[in-house]
Amino acid sequence: MTADKKDVWQGTLALMALKTLEMLGPLHGYGIARRIEQTSGDLLAVNYGTLYPALLKLEQEGYISSEWGVSDNNRRAKYYKLTRAGRKQLEREARDWVQTTAILARFLESSG
Amino acid sequence: MMKVTTLRAWFARLGGLFGKERRDRELAEEMESHLQMHIEDNLRAGMSPEEARRQALIRMGGVEQVKETYRDRRGIPWLESLLQDLRFGLRMLRKNPGFAAVAVITLALGIGGTTSVFSIVDRTLFREPPYPNADRLVSFGVVAPIEPREFMLAPEYVVWRAHQTPFEAMTSMMPGGAGCDLTEQNAVHLTCALVEPTFLPTLGVQPILGRNFTHEQGLPHAPRVALVSYGLWRARFGGDPSIVGRSISLDGQPTLVVGVLPETFEMPTLGQADLLIPETLDEGALRRDNPITILRTFAKLKPNVTTAQASSALQPLFQDSLQYVPAQFRNEVRLSVRSLRDYQTRDVRLRSWMLFGAVLAVLLVACANVASLLLARAANRQGEMAVRAALGASGARLVRQTLTESLLLGVMGGAIGCWLAYELVRLFTSIAPGSAVHPQQAALNLRAVSFAAGTSLFCGFFFGLVPALRRPAPQSLTGQDARTTSRGPLRHALVASQIAVSLVLLACTALFLQSLWNLQRAPLGLDAENLEIAQITLAPYRYPQAARQLEFFSELEMRLRQIPGVSSLALSDSLPPSGPMRATIYARIEIAGRAPFAAGTGGMVGWRAVTPEYFFALRIPMLRGRAFTEDDRAPGHDPIILSDSLARRLFAGENPLGHSLRFGLQGPWRIVVGVAANVKNNGLEAQADPEFYIPWKQDEAETSYRTAYIVLRTPLSPETIATWVRTEVASLDTTVPVPVATMGQRVGKLMQVPRFNAVLLSLFAAVAVVLSAIGIYGVVGFLVNERTREIGIRMALGATPRAVLALVLGSMIAWTTAGALAGVLGGWFASRLLRSLVFQIRAHDLWAIGAAVALQFVTVLLACWIPARRAMRVDPMVALRYE
Repeated sequence: MTADKKDVWQGTLALMALKTLEMLGPLHGYGIARRIEQTSGDLLAVNYGTLYPALLKLEQEGYISSEWGVSDNNRRAKYYKLTRAGRKQLEREARDWVQTTAILARFLESSG
Repeated sequence: MMKVTTLRAWFARLGGLFGKERRDRELAEEMESHLQMHIEDNLRAGMSPEEARRQALIRMGGVEQVKETYRDRRGIPWLESLLQDLRFGLRMLRKNPGFAAVAVITLALGIGGTTSVFSIVDRTLFREPPYPNADRLVSFGVVAPIEPREFMLAPEYVVWRAHQTPFEAMTSMMPGGAGCDLTEQNAVHLTCALVEPTFLPTLGVQPILGRNFTHEQGLPHAPRVALVSYGLWRARFGGDPSIVGRSISLDGQPTLVVGVLPETFEMPTLGQADLLIPETLDEGALRRDNPITILRTFAKLKPNVTTAQASSALQPLFQDSLQYVPAQFRNEVRLSVRSLRDYQTRDVRLRSWMLFGAVLAVLLVACANVASLLLARAANRQGEMAVRAALGASGARLVRQTLTESLLLGVMGGAIGCWLAYELVRLFTSIAPGSAVHPQQAALNLRAVSFAAGTSLFCGFFFGLVPALRRPAPQSLTGQDARTTSRGPLRHALVASQIAVSLVLLACTALFLQSLWNLQRAPLGLDAENLEIAQITLAPYRYPQAARQLEFFSELEMRLRQIPGVSSLALSDSLPPSGPMRATIYARIEIAGRAPFAAGTGGMVGWRAVTPEYFFALRIPMLRGRAFTEDDRAPGHDPIILSDSLARRLFAGENPLGHSLRFGLQGPWRIVVGVAANVKNNGLEAQADPEFYIPWKQDEAETSYRTAYIVLRTPLSPETIATWVRTEVASLDTTVPVPVATMGQRVGKLMQVPRFNAVLLSLFAAVAVVLSAIGIYGVVGFLVNERTREIGIRMALGATPRAVLALVLGSMIAWTTAGALAGVLGGWFASRLLRSLVFQIRAHDLWAIGAAVALQFVTVLLACWIPARRAMRVDPMVALRYE
């Protein structure tokens, strides 16, 4: 856990969490965090202080639902699951992101 | 879409305010399982158990911070702290039920009173009349001595209507409602308003059923049609929609109902109207037959035209019309264009403002009281606030907490105040004279309730802010007596302002009570004891000619003479002290052998036709000459009796008896046979107009005699007389209604408005005085409490009770005097403003202000005395051990 890792900012954290849930199905908070870190090739560090409030916000907005379950190691954990609204939201957000990054990339190329 | 999710999230967060413990537990459990999984992963990665746990904890960061952010997201933080403050505030109030009760009741009195009066004066002061585009509706016409409100003569109106430019539409109606009878089974007497067919469209009103009058229905000899008011439609026709197109019998003639008016419809004159009937305006016929038909005229301005512009645009037409006015009167005739709202409310506006001002003053005193209470409590709670500040509460947070508590008081006071207002409005409308309150306008509607809510929030904010802005002093933390700040000038200033405000109220009340007293003792010029009055009005369709009317009354007079126990009986076509009276212009009175009066119109002179016993029955003294005799009623005799004021004006000290005079150019010459004492004839408050009397003849075809007042002087009970009169009238014509009242009741009716004002003002002033007394008592009592120890020390060192009294009351007296001075000044200004509402009182009557000051002074003394006495009896031993 070194200092040069980037913190994930809020908006993208929600998107990453949604994507993770889409890929892996129902998952607990710790799993989501680890998966994001792994996918980023350990370039990102998930701040748990923001992860749980972000998950709560997604749940309040109806994009995910939660349920207590039992983990692989027989541990009680809260599992988050993507809802239909969440799936749509993910599509929309992903599309927006792709577009934004494309524009930004083009902009950086042309001015670079 | 975004909106829906946001809303959904807010609902979830609102839900998050409940079941906190369970959610907190769940979060803790989730964090714990997260931590455990991390540790297991670390173990699997080959760390030692201690290292695995340590790393996981580091990575996790502050669990409490996570929980804190999580909680903020879960609920709504500001709402949570608000709820917390509310809970705390309620608990504080429950702990201090006495304080809470006094504060809430004080506020409820203020808010309840204000709201009830607001709902009564709202329509007059703050709202447009209930028509679309009411801001463009105007009343216009000429103002002349014969009629103080603008009017138009019908022939002129027709010309103006054809040539005017500033108005989009223009309409007219006959002033006053004409009586009309619904002559079907269960005949009833109704009020019909004669209006031009353009009346409703100009006002922007649509009938709810049927349709408005057409142009053709306003032409001469058109079939008779009518629009029915909503009230009549419901009451008489059971709300049956098929009324439209049905024929009803009105004054004995078939009349077609063409529509029903909306429930909210009001006449622009605020008069009564059960039915609208089209008026016919035929210029030629009008000039020929009835050139002095008076119309009330209303118009709708074109967009962006002001009344001043309209007035100047009408000037040419007005100048043209002036040529029909006799030259000597011309400079007394003016053109007037004013908003409908002004037309409706000018006469009652000052009265309404006075009531509203009075009740606002009560509210102010109430607020000052509560502020003073809160200040005292804030002084007691300085320690608590200092602790909170020391524990990290920000200044804003403390202000918020204090404000929440005072707003809580405000809302509670407002809620009770609403209930009080509801009861008060019912009370006011039941005791209010008809002309003071329009019942359909005075209801506790949504506007009034919002006003109450606004007021209570404002009050809560206003009196809460003062103590809230006080920063707790750090030394309060020491637990030492740090309450010295409460002795500051703020509470004294509050008391001074209370005294000033209630003094103004008292002065106004004294003024009105004095006016009422003057009114009650003002000589009427007649003896109202044992007088019974029957008013008989004949329907024109049954008695179309004056001859038939006179015949009816002669017959009735003869029959009534048979009633035993009546000491005198008189007939008259009008009756003092108020009500319509025939009138003529002073300049039209011509004395034989003298030049006519040439300086303008000279104002109005009233006249009545009376039977010989009139003066005797009313006990109006004859100052000179004689009263009429039976012989005077015979044809060929034309005597006249002048009132004292008219005789003085016409003959200026000369003996008028024997002079001949006539009024109206064609009238017969009449010989002055007597001068009668002046009688109030213009209401109780106004100066009496000069008047004269002519004999009530058996036959006189010129004037109509539709209405007669039958005056009976009798020691018999009013009920007995009423029954007899009704029986005699019914034996002549069963359809004639006979309202009977005593002269005392008729006079009493005129006293209603002044009495209503005085009662209301007295009520408000009493509340204000009691509240300010409570305020003074509170302040002095608090001072004494606070300084008990100091007083004890002083007494132990030899201070006399007198010195202690001076210590306690010293500052109080200074502030009271300041308040009283301000109050006297305010009272003086207020009574000047209200001068037009009171009767026979010179502008700055010292009696009223003096009485007010004296009463206020006694109250202050009483309120100070109790706590001051306690101070003088402080036992030094007890006081020194105090605390």
